[in-house]
Parts: sequence; C-alpha cells; structure tokens
Amino acid sequence: MSAPLKARDYKSGVKPIWCPGCGHYSVLNAVTKAMAALALSRDDTVLVSGIGCSSRLPAYADSYGFHGVHGRGLAVAQGLKVARPDLAVIALGGDGDGFSIGGNHFLHACRRNVDITYIAMDNEVYGMTKGQASPTTPIDWDHSKLTPHGPGVRPFKPAAVALAAGAPWIARAYSGNPNQMARLISEAVSHPGFSFLHVLSQCITFCPEQTDWKAVAHEREAEPLTDAGEAAARFFAESGFETGLLYRNPRASWPPRSEHQPASLADIAERLRV
Amino acid sequence: MSGAMEFKRFLAHALEMEEEAMNRYRELAEALREHNNLLVADFFEAMAAESAKHLAEVKGIEVPGELPKFAPWDYDWPADAPESTSYEAVHYRMDLRRALELALENEREAQAFYAQFAETTTDLETARLAASYAAEEAEHARRLEERLKRLPPTSPSQFEDDDPAQSPE
Repeated sequence: MSAPLKARDYKSGVKPIWCPGCGHYSVLNAVTKAMAALALSRDDTVLVSGIGCSSRLPAYADSYGFHGVHGRGLAVAQGLKVARPDLAVIALGGDGDGFSIGGNHFLHACRRNVDITYIAMDNEVYGMTKGQASPTTPIDWDHSKLTPHGPGVRPFKPAAVALAAGAPWIARAYSGNPNQMARLISEAVSHPGFSFLHVLSQCITFCPEQTDWKAVAHEREAEPLTDAGEAAARFFAESGFETGLLYRNPRASWPPRSEHQPASLADIAERLRV
Repeated sequence: MSGAMEFKRFLAHALEMEEEAMNRYRELAEALREHNNLLVADFFEAMAAESAKHLAEVKGIEVPGELPKFAPWDYDWPADAPESTSYEAVHYRMDLRRALELALENEREAQAFYAQFAETTTDLETARLAASYAAEEAEHARRLEERLKRLPPTSPSQFEDDDPAQSPE
C-alpha cells in the first residue's frame, strides 16, 4: 500500500506567479491540504476555473484541471460532474469572473444544486487587468482612474445572493486563516450538493488596505443557520467578515438519481444515435 | 496522556511547524525572485534552509511506533502555524529590513510556542526538548536582531514603483 499523500504532493511543478502577499497562495495551500486530508485521488479530482489571477490555480495543483472561458468555470464544472459523477469537481475563480461575467452561471449553479464545490476568491478588484472595480468593490473605492470617485454602486453580497438563488451550503473563509479554510474546503467537498465557499483573499498590490482584514475577520462561534429567512436577515445585515460555515440546509442534488444512468460511453453513443 | 504519547504529540507539532515554515519561506523566495527582488528572495531562501535544518533535526529523533496524525486544523494553534509568515505581510517592493522583521516575528512566535509547550507539559522529556527548541529559536531571534541593527532604516519610498502596477488609463 502506498504512503498517504501530503499536501505538497498535490502541488504541480508549476510555480505561482501571483504577487507576493496575494491571498491566493493561501487558497492554493488550503486546497491542497484539504485534498490530502480527504485522501482524494489526483486522477479523480478536477479543478475547473475561469479567467483571472485566481483562475490560474488549477495549473499549480497536481490533479486534472480545466482553465476555461471567463465566467464559465461553473458551467464546465457542472457539465463534467453530471457526465462523470464519480469525480470530485471543484470550481474556482475570482469575484469578477464569478459575480460579473459569470454571474448568471453563479445564480443557476446555486439553484441547480449539482454536487460540486465552488470557491470564489474575492479581492474586490480585477487584478489581472490592473485594478478596476469589480462587483464586490466598496462603493467609494477610488484607487482606479476608471472610477476616480469610486464605482458609486453598492457592492454585491455573495452570501445573500447565493442564498436567494438556492445554495444549500454557504461558508466564508479568510486567506489569513488557511487551516480553517482547509477544513471548510474539506467539508464543502464532502457536502452532497452544491457548496459555495466565499474566500476573502486580499490583493495587496491594488488594494493595500485589505491588509486590515486580518484585524476584522473573525470566526463564527455558533452553529450554521438552517433557516433561509433567518440567514437572509443575517446576510443583509452582517459586516461580511464573519468566517466559518454560515448556512447549511441540504436538499436533493441535481440530476436526480435515475435507474437509467448510462453505464458506459457505448450506452451514451447508443442514446445519441439517430 | 502517557509521557510517550505526549512526546510524540510534541514531535508531530514541531515537525508540522518546521515544515510549514520551510515551505512558506520557499514560496516567498520564489515569489520575490519572480518579481526581481533578489536580495529579499535570497534572504527567504536562506531562512528556508535554516528551517530545513531544524526539520531534519526533529525528523532525526527516533521514537517507537508512529507519530499521531492531525488534520491541518487540529494542531494546537488557532490559525496558521506559529513560524509561518503571514500571507498579507509581504510586498513585491519590500526591503531586506522588512523581511528580517517578519522573520524575527516568526522566530519569536516559534519560541513562545515551544516555551508554552515546555511549561504546560507534565512529561519531563517533552519539557526538556521543548525548552531546548525554545532556546534555539531565541538564539535565531537574537541573531536576526543583531543583523537588523546593522541595516539602514527603511526608506519612506520603499513601496514606490517607477512602473506602478495600477493601470494608466
């Protein structure tokens, strides 16, 4: 029997080119720690991403990966899981990728409840294109010359939107606490259905003020909420810095189990034959 | 918990802490090198080598049977391992002084962790080893303090970039 894999065994030989100080390093470490803790097979795990700094992550992990089209990581991930339910599928991306360009896919992934995990690395900025406002940018963030007085629009609340769209499992992590994040990823992957992990992942190059997140991020001490109404009230009123499993209300995932699942590629080909 | 179990629990923590420190320093060295901050990259590489030596020292201690296995979130530290540099504390323009200050912070955290273990354990052998590791970390911290004294103060323009990352719309 081979020795259990360690977190470092789940990293590829490709070295990250994120800026030093980027929160995504922490997410990569948390993902690989969770993969090791769950003893996931590298051959049966797929990381799917869209476009952006955060979406580089699959290249840095030693598993199957798909670096997809902007905002479409979730579409690819759901299709893959439906076709290959035996695989562990984790979709990853940033706030621009997931909540703007891919916003529609985010809504329907929450609603559809395919058994995948979605990790949104939120740094409130488009980093790869050099620092423009994203859907989660604070209303008065004036660092970009494109929005010199701030975007002037209130930011998107990812947890509230996920809840309204039907996500049955919602958690938040902070890149300054990689071990808590690893635990949440491990729980998310084990959850039978769609699990949404919102990660506060600082961009210290374009938003140096995010180093202050360390002082305000705090772990939720109570059990996760199970009532959607109570959770909605909470998600509208909260600061956005509470971490941990925030909401859990499992329901049947999609597609429903069928006695007529195709057993092989030949079965699929037969069904599609005209 | 028996003395032998306590000793193994301590070794498991020391191994994880030193390995995390080594990996984080290596990661930082690679990231800083990628951003052409070679002086700081070399320093972090040297710190990774130091951690690797300490890791080898801990690995060299023979105990009967296996060490206990912990999930990353089940170790006796609240968030990150004590000797691991905080992710958000670094910057591509950081100077050597800042890097040394971060390393010093790490050494002090490691020293405090080992000292606390030494003070609270009821097993004498564990207490002796933990205290000796705390003393080693204190010596590392002292050396970094000496080196810091010889460095010029941080320039106020440390983070100024002739070619800033912000888009020039």
